[in-house]
Amino acid sequence: MDTLQFLADGFGIAFQWQNILFAFVGVVIGTAVGVLPGIGPMSGVALLIPVTATITSGMPASAAASSSIILLAGVYYGAMYGGSTTSILLNTPGESSSVVTTLDGYQMAKQGRAGAALSISAIGSFCAGIISLIGLVLLAEPLSNVAIKFGPAEYFSLMLLGLAAVSGLAGKSMTKALMMTVFGLMLGTIGIDAVSGIARFTYDQPILFSGLEFLTIAVGLFALGEVIKTILERDQDAGAIAKIHRILPTKQDMKDSAVPIVRGSLLGFFIGVLPGAGATLASFFSYTTEKKFSKNPETFGKGNIAGVAGPESANNAASGGAMIPLLTLGIPGSGTTAILMGALIMYNIQPGPLLFDEHPEVAWGLIASMFLGNLMLLVLNMPLVRVFAKIIQTPKKYLLPMIIAISFFGVYAVQYTTFDLYLLIGCGILGYLFSKNDFPVAPLVLALILGPMIENNLRRALTISNGEFSIFFTKPLSLVFIIAAAAWLLVPLLLKLRGRTVIINEEG
Amino acid sequence: MNKIFDRFAGVGFLLVGILFLVESQKISNSAYGSSVGPKIFPMWLGIILIALSIRLLYETFKYKTEDSEKEQLQYKKFFIIFGSAVLYAFFLEKIGYVVSTFVFLLVTFQTVERGKMVYSVLVAAVFSFGVYYLFAEILGGSLPGFPLF
Repeated sequence: MDTLQFLADGFGIAFQWQNILFAFVGVVIGTAVGVLPGIGPMSGVALLIPVTATITSGMPASAAASSSIILLAGVYYGAMYGGSTTSILLNTPGESSSVVTTLDGYQMAKQGRAGAALSISAIGSFCAGIISLIGLVLLAEPLSNVAIKFGPAEYFSLMLLGLAAVSGLAGKSMTKALMMTVFGLMLGTIGIDAVSGIARFTYDQPILFSGLEFLTIAVGLFALGEVIKTILERDQDAGAIAKIHRILPTKQDMKDSAVPIVRGSLLGFFIGVLPGAGATLASFFSYTTEKKFSKNPETFGKGNIAGVAGPESANNAASGGAMIPLLTLGIPGSGTTAILMGALIMYNIQPGPLLFDEHPEVAWGLIASMFLGNLMLLVLNMPLVRVFAKIIQTPKKYLLPMIIAISFFGVYAVQYTTFDLYLLIGCGILGYLFSKNDFPVAPLVLALILGPMIENNLRRALTISNGEFSIFFTKPLSLVFIIAAAAWLLVPLLLKLRGRTVIINEEG
Repeated sequence: MNKIFDRFAGVGFLLVGILFLVESQKISNSAYGSSVGPKIFPMWLGIILIALSIRLLYETFKYKTEDSEKEQLQYKKFFIIFGSAVLYAFFLEKIGYVVSTFVFLLVTFQTVERGKMVYSVLVAAVFSFGVYYLFAEILGGSLPGFPLF
C-alpha cells in the first residue's frame, strides 16, 4: 500500500505545471537528440545539465533537483524513441541502440511500409516504457530496503562490480577499457581528500582544490569529441529519405509484433537492470531472440516487422531498467546513467537506498513523470514523425558550431572559470582520439563519478577491519559481488580465447 | 586498430602511472589513527595503470595493424575551429559573452561551409544575443555580457 501512496505523491509532483513542461521539453529534445546522428543520449544529457541548472536556479533545492532530473531523464528515454527514425528512414542509426533496427526497418521502408515500422517502434517503445516502469515501481522499495543494510565493504564491492561490468563490455580491447577506468579513478582523486582534508595532486593550484568538474569532462569527451570527429571526417551525404505513406500499422502488423514487443520489453528490462549491459546490448539480444523464435527466420533482414518491434522495445525497456540500480543502489550501470547521477550529485542529492527515504519527491516524482513522458512520446511520435524526420536535414554548418557554443556556455555558466573552458577543449580532443582508437570513454566518466565514493567506502571498510583486506571476502554479500565482478571480466576473456565473438556494448 | 597511437598511449599512460605512484608517496600520512591514509588509493591506481600500460604495449607487438583506407582528414578546418575555440575561451571574460560568441560562431560557420553570409550573421547574432538575454536578463544568471571598456 505504501508504494501506491508514494506513487500517488509522485504523480502529484509530476503533474505540477512546471514539471509537465520540463518532461515535455525533455522528451522533445530527447527525440531530436535521438534523430540527429552524432549526438547521442550521453552528450545530449551532458549538454543540458548546465541549462537545466540555470533554469531551476530560482527554485528550492529539492524541487529544482526533481524538475531537472525529470527533464534529463526525458532526454534519455526520448532518445530511445528518436533513434529508430533515422534507422528506418535513412538506414543510418541515430543511436548505437538502434543499429539493429536498420536491418529490417530500412527494408520495410523500401517496401513502402516506413509508416508502419515507425509507428510500431513507437508503440513498442511505449509498451516497453510502461512495463519497465512497473518493474521499477515494484522493485524500487524492496531493493532499497536491502541496500540500506549494506556496509562500506558491500558498497565497495558493489561499485567494483559496476566498474568491472562496464569495462568488461565496453569496446574491443578490455585492456584499454580497464586503462580508461583506472585513469578515470585517478582523475577522481585530484583535489582535497574528503576524509583527511589533505590536498592531492593539486600542486598548489587553487583551481584544482575542488577537483576536476565531472560535467566539463563529460561534455568535452562526449559532445565535443563527437563534434571534432564530424569536422575532421568528411562523411558522405545522407541518402534520400524514404517516404512515409500511412502511419498506422495494419491489423496484421499489430498481431505480428505483439509478442515480440512483450518479449523485447521483458528482455530489455532485465538487461537494463544489469550493470554494464545497456540499451545497445538489449536490442542486439532481442533481435537474435526474435530470429530464434520466429517461424520463418529467413524473412529477417528482409523487412520482418518483428525485427523492428522487438529491438525497439528492448532498448527502451533497458533505459527504464537502468534507472533501478541508479536510484536504489546509487550505482550507475552505464555512461548515460552515470551522467544522470552526476546531475543529482550536483544538487546535493545522493542517489542510493536513502534517496527513497530522504527525497521521496525526487525519486517518485521522476518515476511518475516517466509514465507521463512515455505517453507524451507516443503522442508526439505517431503524428509528428514527419516533422522529426525533417530534423535530419538541419545543416551541419550551423549545428556543429552551435554545439560547441552551447557546451562553452554550459560549462562557463556552471563553473565561471576560463580554466574549465580550456579543460573542455582538451577533453574534446582526447575524447576524439580515445574513441577513434577504441579507448572507450564511458568507463572513464563512470569511474570519475564513482571514484571518490569507492575510495571512501574502501577506507571506511579498511578502518573497520583494521587494515585487513579480508573484510571484502568474509562478508558474504561482498564476496558475491567480488566474484560477480571477476566473472564479468573473465567470462568475455575466456569466450574470446575460445574464438567466440563477444557482443560489446557501445553506447554513444 | 592503430598501432602507433596505441604505443604512444601505452607510453603516455605508463608515465601517468609512474607519476601517480611517485607523487602519491609525497602525500602525507593520515594525521590520526586510521591505517589507510589518503595515499593508498592513488598509489594502487598508479601500480595498476603501470601494469595495464605494459600489457597494452605488449599487445601492440602481437597484432597486425589492420589496413584501413587512408582517410582524408580535414585538418585545415579542424585547426581553424580549434584555434578559434581557444581564442574564444581566452577572450570570453575579456570582451564579454555576446561579442566573443558572435565572432566565434561567424568564423566557425564560415569555416565549416563557406557562403550564405547573411544567414550566418543572422544565426550568430540571434544565438549570442538570445542566450545572453535569456540567461542574464530573464533567468538572472551572471555572464560577462559586454566589454567593460
